[in-house]
Amino acid sequence: MTGSPPAGGPPARSRGVIALLEENCTVCMLCARECPDWCIYIDSHKEPVPGHEYGGGPDPDHAPAGRGRQRVRNVLDRFAIDFSLCMYCGICVEACPYDALFWSPEFSYAETDITALTHEQGQLREWMWTVPPPPPHDAGAPPHRQSRSQVP
Amino acid sequence: MTPEEIIAAVTGGLPPAVRCEADYHGVMLQVPAEHWLAALVFSRERLDCDFFDWLTGVDETGEGISVVAHVYSLAGRHHVLAGTLLPRSAPRLPTATGIYRGAAWHERETHEMFGVEFDGHPHLAPLLLPGGFEGHPLRKDFVLAARAAKEWPGAKEPGERDVPRARRRLPPPGVPEGWRPS
Repeated sequence: MTGSPPAGGPPARSRGVIALLEENCTVCMLCARECPDWCIYIDSHKEPVPGHEYGGGPDPDHAPAGRGRQRVRNVLDRFAIDFSLCMYCGICVEACPYDALFWSPEFSYAETDITALTHEQGQLREWMWTVPPPPPHDAGAPPHRQSRSQVP
Repeated sequence: MTPEEIIAAVTGGLPPAVRCEADYHGVMLQVPAEHWLAALVFSRERLDCDFFDWLTGVDETGEGISVVAHVYSLAGRHHVLAGTLLPRSAPRLPTATGIYRGAAWHERETHEMFGVEFDGHPHLAPLLLPGGFEGHPLRKDFVLAARAAKEWPGAKEPGERDVPRARRRLPPPGVPEGWRPS
């Protein structure tokens, strides 16, 4: 759907496009595995964490006891969503344990070339700027866990 | 009409083989196939459900194929779900187009997607699928061939660029073990 937005803007929690907050992504692959349409593509590699270098031994994966092994972290190389396959179910947004995926109400991104509907990392990160703040809780809803724990 | 009034009307007006129960969502009629049209006529005439919302199928795997129709009363704002369970080998129902003309497209779609025959339908041609398409895509046993052709993006482990050959051999969901494209 492309065109001028409805008067007053799209309703709350509209599912226009999925945005990626790549700073939060740990490359856990959960979204790509949960996606029923197989439309999330992720590439990553491992990098040693500075300050946690491996101390010795011939095989870093089987370090002697007490020496510790080289700490590594996953680095995201590619994160892409193919919106020509996506059915906007939102399972990836729900599945993400690290709050890296969000719904944005933006919907005007029709293309004449179907391959252009695969939005790469940079484009998905740009959609982040269009993600609205979460709507206030309904009246009578229990308070959020964090705000409850702040109560002395 | 309240759900209780609908149940009372159905109990008095339809054969006892039609089971009627109310749940959180509303009233559901479980109709044997031979009473299917009678139940729809009853819904339209006696329950005042003049608006035909939709009709579709549900693959209940071992039990058979269900056909479900949803009708609504614009004046009374109550609605009724009617369902019937058909044998998987030859699912067959009389057409509802004589009662609700809008059922024509829905029955065409249910015919191509679930393989249900609707006797007396004026034009039971495929609605969405291209000509020559084989099989009924919304049946559970329909092979998702596209998944056999495409690599699962979730097969990679975190920090992995390529999937090791050994792990790639697992059949994806929707593709039977040992299935090969012919």
